[in-house]
Amino acid sequence: MKRIAIDPITRLEGHGKITIFLNDEGAVENAYLQIPELRGFEKFVEGLPIEEVPRVVTRICGV
Amino acid sequence: MKLKIGIYWGAACGGCDVAILDTHEKLLEIADMADIYLWPVAMDFKYSDVRAMKDGFLDVALFSGGVRNSENEEIAELLRRKAKVMVALGACAQLGGVPGLANMYTREEVLRRVYLESESTVNAEGVLPLESSKADGHELDLPHLYNTVKTLDQVVDVDYTIPGCPPASLQIYSALGLVADDMLPKKGSVIGAGDRALCDECPRKKGEKTITKIYRTHEKLPDADTCFLEQGFICLGPATRSGCGSRCIKSWTPCRGCYGPLDDIADQGIKMLGALASVMEPKEEKDINAMLDTVVDPLRTFHRFSLASSILRRRKA
Repeated sequence: MKRIAIDPITRLEGHGKITIFLNDEGAVENAYLQIPELRGFEKFVEGLPIEEVPRVVTRICGV
Repeated sequence: MKLKIGIYWGAACGGCDVAILDTHEKLLEIADMADIYLWPVAMDFKYSDVRAMKDGFLDVALFSGGVRNSENEEIAELLRRKAKVMVALGACAQLGGVPGLANMYTREEVLRRVYLESESTVNAEGVLPLESSKADGHELDLPHLYNTVKTLDQVVDVDYTIPGCPPASLQIYSALGLVADDMLPKKGSVIGAGDRALCDECPRKKGEKTITKIYRTHEKLPDADTCFLEQGFICLGPATRSGCGSRCIKSWTPCRGCYGPLDDIADQGIKMLGALASVMEPKEEKDINAMLDTVVDPLRTFHRFSLASSILRRRKA
Protein backbone atom coordinates (compact mmCIF):
# COMPACT_ATOMS: atom_id res chain seq x y z
CA MET A 1 0.00 0.00 0.00
CA LYS A 2 1.52 3.30 -1.06
CA ARG A 3 0.52 6.66 0.39
CA ILE A 4 0.84 9.91 -1.57
CA ALA A 5 0.36 13.22 0.25
CA ILE A 6 -0.34 16.49 -1.55
CA ASP A 7 0.27 18.93 1.27
CA PRO A 8 -0.65 21.69 1.04
CA ILE A 9 -2.95 21.89 -1.96
CA THR A 10 -2.14 25.14 -3.70
CA ARG A 11 -3.39 27.95 -5.91
CA LEU A 12 -6.62 28.42 -4.00
CA GLU A 13 -7.71 30.42 -0.95
CA GLY A 14 -7.58 28.30 2.14
CA HIS A 15 -5.85 25.26 3.53
CA GLY A 16 -6.26 21.71 2.33
CA LYS A 17 -4.40 18.46 1.92
CA ILE A 18 -5.08 15.38 -0.18
CA THR A 19 -3.99 11.89 0.83
CA ILE A 20 -4.13 9.15 -1.81
CA PHE A 21 -3.75 5.44 -1.05
CA LEU A 22 -2.61 3.18 -3.90
CA ASN A 23 -3.12 -0.59 -3.88
CA ASP A 24 -0.43 -3.15 -4.76
CA GLU A 25 -1.21 -2.77 -8.47
CA GLY A 26 -0.60 0.97 -8.21
CA ALA A 27 -4.24 1.91 -8.70
CA VAL A 28 -6.00 4.45 -6.47
CA GLU A 29 -7.87 2.64 -3.71
CA ASN A 30 -8.98 5.68 -1.69
CA ALA A 31 -8.39 9.42 -1.79
CA TYR A 32 -9.21 11.89 0.98
CA LEU A 33 -9.49 15.66 0.94
CA GLN A 34 -9.03 17.24 4.37
CA ILE A 35 -9.41 20.85 5.45
CA PRO A 36 -6.96 21.41 8.32
CA GLU A 37 -8.25 24.92 9.00
CA LEU A 38 -10.97 26.43 11.17
CA ARG A 39 -11.26 30.01 12.39
CA GLY A 40 -14.79 30.06 13.81
CA PHE A 41 -16.46 33.09 12.20
CA GLU A 42 -19.80 31.34 12.83
CA LYS A 43 -19.20 31.84 16.55
CA PHE A 44 -17.47 35.18 16.86
CA VAL A 45 -19.93 37.16 14.70
CA GLU A 46 -22.70 36.31 17.18
CA GLY A 47 -23.95 39.50 18.80
CA LEU A 48 -21.84 41.73 16.57
CA PRO A 49 -23.65 45.03 15.81
CA ILE A 50 -25.11 44.65 12.34
CA GLU A 51 -23.40 47.75 10.94
CA GLU A 52 -20.01 46.24 11.88
CA VAL A 53 -20.66 42.86 10.22
CA PRO A 54 -19.52 43.85 6.68
CA ARG A 55 -16.04 44.78 7.92
CA VAL A 56 -15.69 41.49 9.82
CA VAL A 57 -17.06 38.91 7.37
CA THR A 58 -15.01 40.37 4.53
CA ARG A 59 -12.12 38.70 6.38
CA ILE A 60 -13.56 35.23 5.74
CA CYS A 61 -11.89 35.31 2.32
CA GLY A 62 -9.73 38.13 1.01
CA VAL A 63 -9.08 36.63 -2.41
CA MET B 1 21.96 38.36 -6.20
CA LYS B 2 18.22 37.72 -6.10
CA LEU B 3 16.46 37.42 -2.77
CA LYS B 4 14.96 34.06 -1.85
CA ILE B 5 11.49 34.52 -0.42
CA GLY B 6 8.89 32.24 1.16
CA ILE B 7 5.31 33.44 1.61
CA TYR B 8 2.94 31.59 3.91
CA TRP B 9 -0.42 31.97 5.65
CA GLY B 10 -1.67 30.65 8.97
CA ALA B 11 -5.19 31.52 10.16
CA ALA B 12 -5.68 34.05 7.40
CA CYS B 13 -8.08 35.01 4.61
CA GLY B 14 -5.61 35.43 1.74
CA GLY B 15 -6.06 39.20 1.74
CA CYS B 16 -2.37 39.75 2.50
CA ASP B 17 -1.45 37.53 -0.48
CA VAL B 18 -3.81 39.52 -2.68
CA ALA B 19 -2.22 42.72 -1.38
CA ILE B 20 1.10 41.41 -2.73
CA LEU B 21 -0.55 40.73 -6.11
CA ASP B 22 -2.19 44.17 -5.97
CA THR B 23 1.22 45.77 -6.41
CA HIS B 24 0.20 45.35 -10.10
CA GLU B 25 3.10 46.07 -12.47
CA LYS B 26 5.45 46.42 -9.50
CA LEU B 27 4.98 42.68 -9.08
CA LEU B 28 7.29 42.39 -12.10
CA GLU B 29 9.90 44.36 -10.17
CA ILE B 30 9.41 42.03 -7.19
CA ALA B 31 9.95 39.11 -9.58
CA ASP B 32 13.20 40.77 -10.75
CA MET B 33 14.23 41.35 -7.15
CA ALA B 34 13.31 37.95 -5.71
CA ASP B 35 12.74 34.29 -6.41
CA ILE B 36 9.80 32.77 -4.56
CA TYR B 37 10.24 29.32 -2.96
CA LEU B 38 6.87 28.94 -1.20
CA TRP B 39 3.54 30.66 -1.83
CA PRO B 40 0.51 28.37 -1.42
CA VAL B 41 -2.04 30.78 -2.90
CA ALA B 42 -0.15 31.21 -6.14
CA MET B 43 2.55 28.54 -6.59
CA ASP B 44 2.86 24.78 -6.21
CA PHE B 45 5.62 24.28 -3.62
CA LYS B 46 4.89 21.75 -0.86
CA TYR B 47 5.89 21.54 2.82
CA SER B 48 8.33 18.80 1.82
CA ASP B 49 10.18 21.35 -0.39
CA VAL B 50 10.58 23.68 2.60
CA ARG B 51 11.70 20.86 4.92
CA ALA B 52 14.41 19.96 2.36
CA MET B 53 15.91 23.48 2.43
CA LYS B 54 19.09 24.17 4.41
CA ASP B 55 18.51 26.28 7.52
CA GLY B 56 18.79 29.97 6.63
CA PHE B 57 18.28 29.22 2.91
CA LEU B 58 15.53 31.83 2.54
CA ASP B 59 16.43 35.48 2.88
CA VAL B 60 12.91 36.41 3.97
CA ALA B 61 9.77 34.63 5.11
CA LEU B 62 6.55 36.64 4.96
CA PHE B 63 4.04 35.03 7.34
CA SER B 64 0.44 36.25 7.31
CA GLY B 65 -2.34 34.93 9.52
CA GLY B 66 -2.51 34.09 13.17
CA VAL B 67 -1.50 30.86 14.86
CA ARG B 68 -4.73 28.92 15.35
CA ASN B 69 -3.62 25.31 15.28
CA SER B 70 -0.59 23.06 15.58
CA GLU B 71 0.05 23.11 11.82
CA ASN B 72 0.26 26.93 11.78
CA GLU B 73 2.79 26.75 14.64
CA GLU B 74 4.78 23.94 13.03
CA ILE B 75 5.14 25.83 9.73
CA ALA B 76 5.96 29.06 11.58
CA GLU B 77 8.81 27.25 13.37
CA LEU B 78 9.93 25.62 10.12
CA LEU B 79 10.06 28.95 8.26
CA ARG B 80 11.81 30.60 11.22
CA ARG B 81 14.60 28.03 10.85
CA LYS B 82 14.74 28.30 7.06
CA ALA B 83 14.66 32.12 6.84
CA LYS B 84 17.24 34.68 7.84
CA VAL B 85 14.55 37.33 8.30
CA MET B 86 11.07 36.50 9.63
CA VAL B 87 8.38 39.06 8.85
CA ALA B 88 4.90 39.16 10.36
CA LEU B 89 2.75 40.30 7.43
CA GLY B 90 -0.58 41.88 8.28
CA ALA B 91 -2.82 42.35 11.30
CA CYS B 92 -3.44 38.62 11.97
CA ALA B 93 0.24 37.70 12.24
CA GLN B 94 0.98 40.89 14.20
CA LEU B 95 -2.08 41.10 16.48
CA GLY B 96 -4.25 38.02 15.91
CA GLY B 97 -6.54 40.05 13.64
CA VAL B 98 -10.23 39.36 13.15
CA PRO B 99 -9.81 35.57 13.66
CA GLY B 100 -8.36 36.43 17.09
CA LEU B 101 -11.90 37.40 18.14
CA ALA B 102 -12.42 33.66 18.64
CA ASN B 103 -10.56 34.23 21.93
CA MET B 104 -13.91 35.47 23.25
CA TYR B 105 -14.92 31.80 23.34
CA THR B 106 -13.45 28.42 24.15
CA ARG B 107 -12.35 25.92 21.53
CA GLU B 108 -15.35 23.73 22.43
CA GLU B 109 -17.83 26.60 21.98
CA VAL B 110 -16.38 27.33 18.53
CA LEU B 111 -16.48 23.67 17.45
CA ARG B 112 -20.03 23.23 18.75
CA ARG B 113 -21.35 26.28 16.91
CA VAL B 114 -19.61 25.47 13.62
CA TYR B 115 -20.20 21.71 13.42
CA LEU B 116 -23.36 21.12 15.45
CA GLU B 117 -25.47 24.23 15.98
CA SER B 118 -25.24 26.45 12.91
CA GLU B 119 -28.50 26.74 10.98
CA SER B 120 -26.96 25.51 7.73
CA THR B 121 -25.23 22.47 9.22
CA VAL B 122 -26.60 18.98 8.63
CA ASN B 123 -24.74 16.69 10.99
CA ALA B 124 -27.27 14.32 12.57
CA GLU B 125 -24.54 12.04 13.92
CA GLY B 126 -22.78 14.96 15.60
CA VAL B 127 -19.41 14.26 13.98
CA LEU B 128 -16.58 16.59 15.04
CA PRO B 129 -13.14 16.82 13.40
CA LEU B 130 -10.71 14.32 14.93
CA GLU B 131 -6.97 14.79 15.17
CA SER B 132 -6.53 11.16 14.22
CA SER B 133 -9.11 8.95 12.63
CA LYS B 134 -9.46 5.77 10.60
CA ALA B 135 -11.34 5.66 7.31
CA ASP B 136 -11.58 2.34 5.45
CA GLY B 137 -8.59 1.16 7.46
CA HIS B 138 -6.47 4.22 6.55
CA GLU B 139 -4.97 6.47 9.22
CA LEU B 140 -5.75 10.15 8.71
CA ASP B 141 -4.76 13.12 10.83
CA LEU B 142 -5.62 16.78 11.31
CA PRO B 143 -3.84 19.54 13.24
CA HIS B 144 -4.81 20.29 16.85
CA LEU B 145 -7.11 23.31 17.07
CA TYR B 146 -5.85 25.53 19.88
CA ASN B 147 -8.10 27.01 22.54
CA THR B 148 -6.39 30.38 22.06
CA VAL B 149 -5.46 32.18 18.83
CA LYS B 150 -1.86 33.37 19.06
CA THR B 151 0.13 36.02 17.26
CA LEU B 152 3.25 35.03 15.31
CA ASP B 153 5.60 36.58 17.88
CA GLN B 154 3.97 34.52 20.63
CA VAL B 155 5.38 31.37 18.98
CA VAL B 156 8.57 32.35 17.12
CA ASP B 157 11.13 35.14 17.10
CA VAL B 158 9.87 37.82 14.65
CA ASP B 159 12.34 40.25 13.07
CA TYR B 160 10.00 42.77 11.42
CA THR B 161 6.29 43.55 11.14
CA ILE B 162 4.35 44.93 8.18
CA PRO B 163 0.97 45.93 9.65
CA GLY B 164 -2.51 46.26 8.13
CA CYS B 165 -5.64 44.36 7.20
CA PRO B 166 -4.61 44.11 4.53
CA PRO B 167 -1.27 45.94 4.35
CA ALA B 168 -1.34 48.64 1.66
CA SER B 169 0.21 47.02 -1.41
CA LEU B 170 2.83 49.69 -2.04
CA GLN B 171 3.89 49.41 1.61
CA ILE B 172 4.70 45.71 1.04
CA TYR B 173 6.67 46.67 -2.05
CA SER B 174 8.63 49.35 -0.19
CA ALA B 175 9.30 46.97 2.73
CA LEU B 176 10.72 44.35 0.33
CA GLY B 177 12.87 47.14 -1.10
CA LEU B 178 14.37 47.67 2.38
CA VAL B 179 15.43 44.01 2.39
CA ALA B 180 16.80 44.11 -1.17
CA ASP B 181 18.76 47.32 -0.51
CA ASP B 182 20.03 46.08 2.87
CA MET B 183 18.38 49.09 4.54
CA LEU B 184 16.40 47.30 7.24
CA PRO B 185 16.06 49.22 10.53
CA LYS B 186 16.77 47.67 13.90
CA LYS B 187 15.27 44.26 14.62
CA GLY B 188 11.74 44.41 16.00
CA SER B 189 10.76 47.46 13.96
CA VAL B 190 7.47 47.95 12.17
CA ILE B 191 8.22 48.54 8.48
CA GLY B 192 5.97 49.62 5.62
CA ALA B 193 3.97 52.02 7.81
CA GLY B 194 4.13 55.41 9.47
CA ASP B 195 5.41 56.22 12.93
CA ARG B 196 2.62 58.56 13.96
CA ALA B 197 -1.08 58.13 14.69
CA LEU B 198 -3.55 57.80 11.83
CA CYS B 199 -5.06 61.18 12.84
CA ASP B 200 -1.88 62.81 11.51
CA GLU B 201 -2.55 61.62 7.96
CA CYS B 202 -6.38 61.74 8.14
CA PRO B 203 -7.76 64.35 5.71
CA ARG B 204 -10.72 65.30 7.97
CA LYS B 205 -10.66 68.62 9.88
CA LYS B 206 -9.92 68.44 13.56
CA GLY B 207 -10.96 71.02 16.13
CA GLU B 208 -11.83 70.98 19.81
CA LYS B 209 -13.36 67.63 20.68
CA THR B 210 -16.19 67.50 23.21
CA ILE B 211 -18.37 64.48 22.68
CA THR B 212 -21.80 64.58 24.30
CA LYS B 213 -23.16 61.37 22.79
CA ILE B 214 -21.70 58.28 21.14
CA TYR B 215 -23.35 57.36 17.84
CA ARG B 216 -23.43 54.11 15.89
CA THR B 217 -22.68 54.65 12.21
CA HIS B 218 -26.30 54.17 11.11
CA GLU B 219 -27.71 56.60 13.66
CA LYS B 220 -26.79 59.80 11.85
CA LEU B 221 -25.10 60.85 8.63
CA PRO B 222 -21.58 62.14 9.30
CA ASP B 223 -20.64 65.45 7.73
CA ALA B 224 -18.15 65.26 4.89
CA ASP B 225 -15.06 66.86 6.36
CA THR B 226 -15.08 66.81 10.17
CA CYS B 227 -13.24 64.29 12.35
CA PHE B 228 -15.48 61.27 13.02
CA LEU B 229 -14.63 61.28 16.72
CA GLU B 230 -15.70 64.93 17.09
CA GLN B 231 -19.06 63.94 15.61
CA GLY B 232 -19.46 61.19 18.21
CA PHE B 233 -18.55 58.19 16.05
CA ILE B 234 -15.94 55.92 17.58
CA CYS B 235 -12.86 56.07 15.35
CA LEU B 236 -9.65 54.29 16.39
CA GLY B 237 -7.42 56.82 14.61
CA PRO B 238 -5.83 58.18 17.81
CA ALA B 239 -4.75 54.65 18.85
CA THR B 240 -3.73 53.40 15.40
CA ARG B 241 -0.52 53.62 13.40
CA SER B 242 -0.63 55.61 10.17
CA GLY B 243 0.43 54.24 6.79
CA CYS B 244 -2.79 52.79 5.34
CA GLY B 245 -3.56 55.90 3.29
CA SER B 246 -6.76 56.49 5.32
CA ARG B 247 -8.61 53.99 3.14
CA CYS B 248 -11.61 53.54 5.43
CA ILE B 249 -11.83 57.23 6.35
CA LYS B 250 -11.92 58.19 2.67
CA SER B 251 -14.80 55.72 2.29
CA TRP B 252 -16.76 57.56 5.03
CA THR B 253 -16.03 54.84 7.56
CA PRO B 254 -14.35 55.38 10.93
CA CYS B 255 -11.10 53.51 11.61
CA ARG B 256 -11.23 50.15 13.39
CA GLY B 257 -7.52 49.98 14.04
CA CYS B 258 -6.13 47.40 11.60
CA TYR B 259 -2.67 49.03 11.48
CA GLY B 260 -2.23 48.28 15.15
CA PRO B 261 -0.73 50.36 17.94
CA LEU B 262 2.23 52.72 17.77
CA ASP B 263 5.59 51.68 19.24
CA ASP B 264 5.64 51.16 23.01
CA ILE B 265 1.84 50.87 23.29
CA ALA B 266 1.12 47.54 24.96
CA ASP B 267 -2.61 47.50 24.31
CA GLN B 268 -4.27 49.35 21.43
CA GLY B 269 -7.83 48.95 22.75
CA ILE B 270 -7.01 50.36 26.15
CA LYS B 271 -5.08 53.22 24.53
CA MET B 272 -8.25 54.01 22.56
CA LEU B 273 -10.42 53.88 25.68
CA GLY B 274 -8.12 56.48 27.25
CA ALA B 275 -8.24 58.64 24.12
CA LEU B 276 -12.03 58.43 24.04
CA ALA B 277 -12.47 59.24 27.72
CA SER B 278 -10.26 62.33 27.29
CA VAL B 279 -12.50 63.86 24.59
CA MET B 280 -15.85 63.15 26.24
CA GLU B 281 -17.78 66.01 27.81
CA PRO B 282 -18.34 64.22 31.14
CA LYS B 283 -15.35 64.59 33.43
CA GLU B 284 -16.52 62.69 36.51
CA GLU B 285 -15.75 58.97 36.57
CA LYS B 286 -19.40 58.04 37.14
CA ASP B 287 -20.54 60.13 34.14
CA ILE B 288 -17.68 58.87 31.95
CA ASN B 289 -18.65 55.29 32.76
CA ALA B 290 -22.31 56.01 32.00
CA MET B 291 -21.35 57.31 28.56
CA LEU B 292 -18.95 54.42 27.89
CA ASP B 293 -21.80 52.05 28.77
CA THR B 294 -23.56 53.29 25.62
CA VAL B 295 -20.88 51.63 23.45
CA VAL B 296 -22.76 48.59 22.17
CA ASP B 297 -19.92 46.12 21.72
CA PRO B 298 -16.80 47.48 23.42
CA LEU B 299 -14.56 44.40 23.08
CA ARG B 300 -15.00 44.03 19.32
CA THR B 301 -14.94 47.82 18.87
CA PHE B 302 -11.71 48.57 20.72
CA HIS B 303 -9.93 45.25 20.10
CA ARG B 304 -11.32 44.46 16.64
CA PHE B 305 -7.91 43.37 15.34
CA SER B 306 -5.81 43.15 18.48
CA LEU B 307 -7.55 40.91 21.02
CA ALA B 308 -5.01 38.07 20.76
CA SER B 309 -2.11 40.50 21.35
CA SER B 310 -3.81 42.55 24.06
CA ILE B 311 -3.30 42.27 27.80
CA LEU B 312 -6.77 40.67 27.86
CA ARG B 313 -5.57 37.99 25.38
CA ARG B 314 -8.69 35.81 25.77
CA ARG B 315 -11.79 35.25 27.85
CA LYS B 316 -10.89 33.47 31.03
CA ALA B 317 -11.49 29.79 30.36
